[in-house]
Amino acid sequence: MAEVNKEVPLSKGYLLVDTKKCTGCCSCMLACSLVHEGKSGFSLSRIQILDDAFGSFPTDVEIAVCQQCDNPECYLECPLKDEALCIDEKTGVRYVNEDQCNGCELCIEACPFSPSRIIFDPDRNIAIKCDLCQSTPYWDSQGKQACIEVCPVNAIKFTTVKPVGYGGYRVNLRGEGWAKLGLPID
Amino acid sequence: MFACTGKILRVNLTNQQVTTINTEDYKEWIGGHGLGAAIFFDLVKDKTISAFDPQNVLVITPGLFSGTLVPAACRTEMVGIQAQSYPYEWFTRSNVGGRFANMLKYAGYDGIILQGAADKPTWINIVEGDVELKDAVNLWGLDTYEAQKVIFKEVMGGKGFGNWINTKGRRQTTQRPAVLAIGPAGENKSRVATIQTDAGNAFGQGGFGGVWGAKKLKAISVLGTGSVEVADAKALMEARLWAERNYGPDFDNPRIHEWQEYITSHFGGHPGRQWAPFDRQKRPSGCYGCHLNCKPRTSTGLANDMVCTAAGYYRNWDLAKHGRFTEISGKAASLAQRLGINTFELQVELPYLKALYDKRILGPGRKIDTDLPVDKMGEAEFVEDLLHKIAYRKEIGDDLAEGLPRAAERWGRVDEDLKTGILPAMFWGYPAHYDARTEAYWGYSTIVSGRDINCHDFNVAAYWMPTLDIAAGKTPLVSAEEVAKWIGEIGPYYDSEMLNFATDNIYSVHMARTTAWVLYYSRFWKQSCGLCDNAFADFVNPYGPNNKGLTPEGELRFYKAVTGENLSFEDSMEIGRKIFNLDKAIWTLQGRHRDMEKFPEYVYSVDTTGISRVLGEPPSYYMPTKENGKWGYRNVVPRHLDKNKVEDWKTLFYEQEGWDPKTGWQTRVTLEALGLKNIANELERMGKLP
Repeated sequence: MAEVNKEVPLSKGYLLVDTKKCTGCCSCMLACSLVHEGKSGFSLSRIQILDDAFGSFPTDVEIAVCQQCDNPECYLECPLKDEALCIDEKTGVRYVNEDQCNGCELCIEACPFSPSRIIFDPDRNIAIKCDLCQSTPYWDSQGKQACIEVCPVNAIKFTTVKPVGYGGYRVNLRGEGWAKLGLPID
Repeated sequence: MFACTGKILRVNLTNQQVTTINTEDYKEWIGGHGLGAAIFFDLVKDKTISAFDPQNVLVITPGLFSGTLVPAACRTEMVGIQAQSYPYEWFTRSNVGGRFANMLKYAGYDGIILQGAADKPTWINIVEGDVELKDAVNLWGLDTYEAQKVIFKEVMGGKGFGNWINTKGRRQTTQRPAVLAIGPAGENKSRVATIQTDAGNAFGQGGFGGVWGAKKLKAISVLGTGSVEVADAKALMEARLWAERNYGPDFDNPRIHEWQEYITSHFGGHPGRQWAPFDRQKRPSGCYGCHLNCKPRTSTGLANDMVCTAAGYYRNWDLAKHGRFTEISGKAASLAQRLGINTFELQVELPYLKALYDKRILGPGRKIDTDLPVDKMGEAEFVEDLLHKIAYRKEIGDDLAEGLPRAAERWGRVDEDLKTGILPAMFWGYPAHYDARTEAYWGYSTIVSGRDINCHDFNVAAYWMPTLDIAAGKTPLVSAEEVAKWIGEIGPYYDSEMLNFATDNIYSVHMARTTAWVLYYSRFWKQSCGLCDNAFADFVNPYGPNNKGLTPEGELRFYKAVTGENLSFEDSMEIGRKIFNLDKAIWTLQGRHRDMEKFPEYVYSVDTTGISRVLGEPPSYYMPTKENGKWGYRNVVPRHLDKNKVEDWKTLFYEQEGWDPKTGWQTRVTLEALGLKNIANELERMGKLP
């Protein structure tokens, strides 16, 4: 376990999700992969949706998204810290410098979440992770996030306020309109 | 080729041989239906064989757009000789959404060709391009849900669900394999058996589940971590956002209209809350990449991901019995999916059985002797008994597993019941859907093809929107004149009269154009590119500018981004015409002649009366009509078709298509102009050129 490094600056951006609103369509995954890699697939997506069609609401859908942790173990465990796994000076976003990553996968092992929010790309032998769309070669993001923009039901939201605890990332984004469609908002 | 993997898998179940062919060899056929039909044409030398003949080839092909970010484009097509149609087993198509199309491409294939028949139960496991034919003895007898779950466990190495799993080497996914599986109905070669994937998606029409049963094929599982490349990723992302923002439904500020409770079938559709009324829908659920998310999830899992008849075939019987919707509706829905039975058939089967029971023809000790508890329709006991009888071919179920027309034939009733219409098998033995007597093109396009077309392109704008709004005392969103004008602005016919459903116009060349438009558009955009019928075509859309939909601009933007090719809408319709002509040649080689393309007697003699929105209200079926030069939405019922005028219409249609009006066969000139000289040669060789 890496020691807590209190010098690590906080991220200035976070993704909040509503797992009760998510439809499991995985459009966010296809968009994430497309804007970062120029092609669509699930295993290159920085956000992962787990959808169980045989399950029952509300536990049938799970959203696995990077928390941009205040104590980022992926970063702290990286043997090429600040070269491969980096923290953006301006935004605080934890991101992978793909040119420097050696594919050791220690960041993946260090990620405390399951499934790991760091993804391994075996074709390039590198780790990839959510960078809040800071670098999207295939989309002019203008500071926006592809997953948020493409989500048809607005089940993902950007915030600059650090969520408190794991539960803080899980929010209720269902309002009056959702209720008008006969869908639960509690 | 963009959006393609370059390889199509070819599995010979008889000798267990696995090979591949190059997608490039079939590039002109786009993907999906075009690709599958062209492969079928080449591989099946004798097209007069039965659906259950081992020589019948089934081709499973994702649409060209499948696997990309194009919205509502995850459809998979299957073609082959069907078991369902009556009295002839025509070559046909079936289609499914869900996850299979994406996953097959990510696993490395643009399609799967199934040839021959195994000598023992078999399933096919495809992981990252590796293919294994496996013994399915342990799966045979399981329902579709059980079979999928056993396969999930085997493919995922028992690692469960919720984490990364290794597929091959260091390749990883969080996704489950996508599995197609038949249930007991398919194993027992029912002609109304489906092929299921996940909880609520199925290849429903065509009876291909029974064909799989005859091939002793229980399931196909695909899992891959690959990606699909497109010509212009930036343009695709922009096109997707443009379409979603300008035409997609707004779930946080929905524009509610009466008809959106009942039908999607346009780009701005909503999830219908009525699909799971026993539980109130809890979550809208979407196929991979969809922006509509039309399917329901419930707190019990019952009726998960089921819409239309899959969700609702038992609902009104439940309501009539209990005065409210109960969980029995959901149990009935899920049971049909588990056993692999086509719910569209059940939708018509229940009232037919009830009518025969009320006439004292069907029941214990009666002419059609059965212990089916018809007096308990609406209860779980009845539907469970009925479905198990069909799936396992027990008692009356052995007849019903053959499909209603063949069951009626066994009972010596088919001619009489098709004459009175108590057996509403409106086209090729398929259950009545949208009515040939009102929406004439729907009926026409079905009898000139091979199955209930199930293409809602004009249906939403021309029927659902006006009829339900007017019945509710509201003004339709867009006037009949405006909608007709918009249709007239779209090629290739540029003819607003295509939308005129006045009685004197439904036998005209305009309706021949409407019919061809639906067939060409669907063959190209939906069945070959993979767009979902629940979202396309999009003519009237409450979210669009001035309530106008995105067709054809949206389709063309997506095509350009995915392939890099500039295509005009006219070009796309011409390719659709070519694909339809390929199908037509297969039907002709199967023995089709113009004399066979007709409706059952009741369509020519019994009036359709439309629907009653509320019990006690007069039935109505409002459609755009132009009378005395004025457009309006008018009630077109009661109405039946005139047999002689339908025959005249057929002549108009065949002439429009460049076919011989006497036989209905294609001419060499027409085929060669489409670049189909080889097909003309084959027709000539078989004595099928006029």
